[in-house]
Amino acid sequence: MSAGATDSQVGSQVGVKLVSHFATVEQQKRAAVLGMWAWLLTELLLFAGLFLTALILRLTHPEAVQAAARHLKFWIGATNTVVLIGSSLTMSGAIQLSRLGWQRGMVRFMLATAALGTLFLALKGYEYYADYQEHMMPFLSDRPYALKDSPPSRLFVNLYYVATSLHGLHLMTGITILLAMTWQASRPGFLKQHQNRIEIFGLYWHFIDLIWILAFPILYVLNR
Amino acid sequence: MNSSSISSGTITDGPALRDPHTPDSRLGHGSDYLHAEHTLRSWFFTTDHKRIALLYLASITAFFVIGAVTAGLVRLALVVPDGQVFTNDTYNKLFTIHGVVMVWFFLIPSIPATFGNFLIPLMIGARDLAFPKLNLASWYVFMTGALFTLASVVLGGVDTGWTFYTPLSTAFSNTWVVPALVGVTIVGFSSILTGLNFVVTIHTMRAPGMTWFRLPIFVWTHYATSLIFLLATPVITIALVLLIAERAFHIGVFDPAYGGDPVLFQHLFWFYSHPAVYIMVLPGMGVISEIVPAFAQKKLFGYRFVAYAAIGLASVTFFVWGHHMFVNGQSDFASVAFSVLSFAVAVPSAVKVYNWTATIHKGSLKLDTPMLYAMGYIGLFVLGGLTGLYLATLAINQHVHATYFVVAHFHYIMVGGTVLAFLGGLHFWWPKITGRMYIEAWGRISAFLIFIGFNVTFFPQFILGYLGMPRRYHVYPPEFQFLNILSSAGSTILAVGYIFPMIYLVYSIWFGKRALANPWDARGLEWTVPSPPPAHNFLTEPQAPKIPYDYPIQARETGRQHS
Repeated sequence: MSAGATDSQVGSQVGVKLVSHFATVEQQKRAAVLGMWAWLLTELLLFAGLFLTALILRLTHPEAVQAAARHLKFWIGATNTVVLIGSSLTMSGAIQLSRLGWQRGMVRFMLATAALGTLFLALKGYEYYADYQEHMMPFLSDRPYALKDSPPSRLFVNLYYVATSLHGLHLMTGITILLAMTWQASRPGFLKQHQNRIEIFGLYWHFIDLIWILAFPILYVLNR
Repeated sequence: MNSSSISSGTITDGPALRDPHTPDSRLGHGSDYLHAEHTLRSWFFTTDHKRIALLYLASITAFFVIGAVTAGLVRLALVVPDGQVFTNDTYNKLFTIHGVVMVWFFLIPSIPATFGNFLIPLMIGARDLAFPKLNLASWYVFMTGALFTLASVVLGGVDTGWTFYTPLSTAFSNTWVVPALVGVTIVGFSSILTGLNFVVTIHTMRAPGMTWFRLPIFVWTHYATSLIFLLATPVITIALVLLIAERAFHIGVFDPAYGGDPVLFQHLFWFYSHPAVYIMVLPGMGVISEIVPAFAQKKLFGYRFVAYAAIGLASVTFFVWGHHMFVNGQSDFASVAFSVLSFAVAVPSAVKVYNWTATIHKGSLKLDTPMLYAMGYIGLFVLGGLTGLYLATLAINQHVHATYFVVAHFHYIMVGGTVLAFLGGLHFWWPKITGRMYIEAWGRISAFLIFIGFNVTFFPQFILGYLGMPRRYHVYPPEFQFLNILSSAGSTILAVGYIFPMIYLVYSIWFGKRALANPWDARGLEWTVPSPPPAHNFLTEPQAPKIPYDYPIQARETGRQHS
């Protein structure tokens, strides 16, 4: 992943400190990358069950699903998609700058990434609030559900809440880790010892983005 | 404590002699992993894969005892046909605890978390797993999950059975379902982390020259198991999260009253829980593939086929979950497809059995304790596997579905398979793990007791199920009493067989003869280091063998040789 050429160009500025049970730094970096990919594979399967259920529901009860999906805020979803893709862009920027050893720029890009992630959550929160206003929260016993004559629509709405809140939870975790790492990475000498942490975290961040890129068409676009 | 100076002084086998740098003085000062440090802290905050394996070994043994005691109580209740021993509720809770504890807290972590943890780095010539801290964290995650589940038992138990089927688990059960579900969900993460660690370790940490086809089959089967951990466990995680959401917050996905579908739970559940059978069985197959060549002193027959069969099993097992749902109203087309695919699973399983048998053929057999367990395993696994084919047959399944036939079948696989492999592996690697030998005669007696006790317990259940006794009831027609008493009597023999090793193995830790580096004259890198191994595994750079299972006797194979 990380280019060997850039490593040598910037010399001792950027690198990874060897942990004793590995034989070489190269092996250690490979293990870290593969470990994150394995984790992402497992995460993908975590969401796959939800998405597959939503798709099968769409096939078996198209009208009910469309009726429920009409209440989803398409433009908030679309804006959020752009916001998250933007955050992936800034994260890639942070990774590039970390390879070059430009610590200050990297920290700024990381903060921008966290800010975009937070913007996503804020918009998502507003969307939940609008859903609440429209009586689209069937699990609240004191608020009658808007489409109560259509049980399959209720399943779709429940899946929507589980999938988006699980995604939101991942994003919140991501932002927390990102801020903690930004704080660490702003201190001198970080890039000399732990440059690959930025890259590994980048994989996770792009993955959160990817999950939303799957969720948006499956929940919003397909049912318009 | 000059723990293993003796072992290094009396080594007579080749590999260790090749190592001229084994300084007695260093071993004498307790540099083996057991004696490197003595504080409690050095155990509970260790990142040494060998010590973490022992933490797991102690915990899963405790869970095995809980599971076994509840099984004993279930068998006690079934001695009389009128269900007078316990109330219905108590009986339901007993078999649920037995199932939940045995499946999630013993069988699934049993071999991977103990022997896998201990042996994979040694077998591939690495200093540790790729992520030692994550490895320790996985044990803490495991214990956290265990606490939740034990809390649900202490608070009053759960009565849903280990499968947590809806709508019983969401709408009707008045027991502590949510803490039990939280516990099982958390334990899943411990499996995922262990699997992730193994995959990365096997990919990146192999010693120079240790190519994929020089790896022991034990490593191959653990690789296959780890893939299942990574790909199947998240699906049960989401299924259990949805269950918790429905029960606790009324975000219904399974209850028709909320628009949900109860059969959906079964799909998600079995998408994990059928592959989970191979999480339990594959590591056991790895253990047997190590024991059989060592005690036949013969090269493993058809190494590549055994390796491919492990990956084959791990792949096909993802496409057979529907065979648990033949009578649940799934379409006939789906049932036929799942039936055919389930038959296909028999092929790689049979490849392994034939290869073990062919390895034994014309070998120089030593019937020591590990080999007795291994041979017991092969026999019981064949019986369990063949009855699995009965269950995969649509017409027969209608007849024996949810009867004791199913109970007998999966106990032949899980007890006859996994538990025997676990005990066989424990006896095989005990000298390596502890540096001590147990008393061989006791080991053989226990192996025979377990084999006989197991068959007396579970064979009658095949007949009971065939005659129509349903599982999970403790009231049954009086004509079934004889076979039930026979089964319960067998379980007492089995219990004695389990208690024996606990006594003589613990005894051996203090009073056993000191073990040589390679007491069985076995091959594999783990036998080239002293017993117990040094804290950092290899004192010198490990030399990968050119040929795996390079035993003196070779089969007359006409095909190409392994490289």
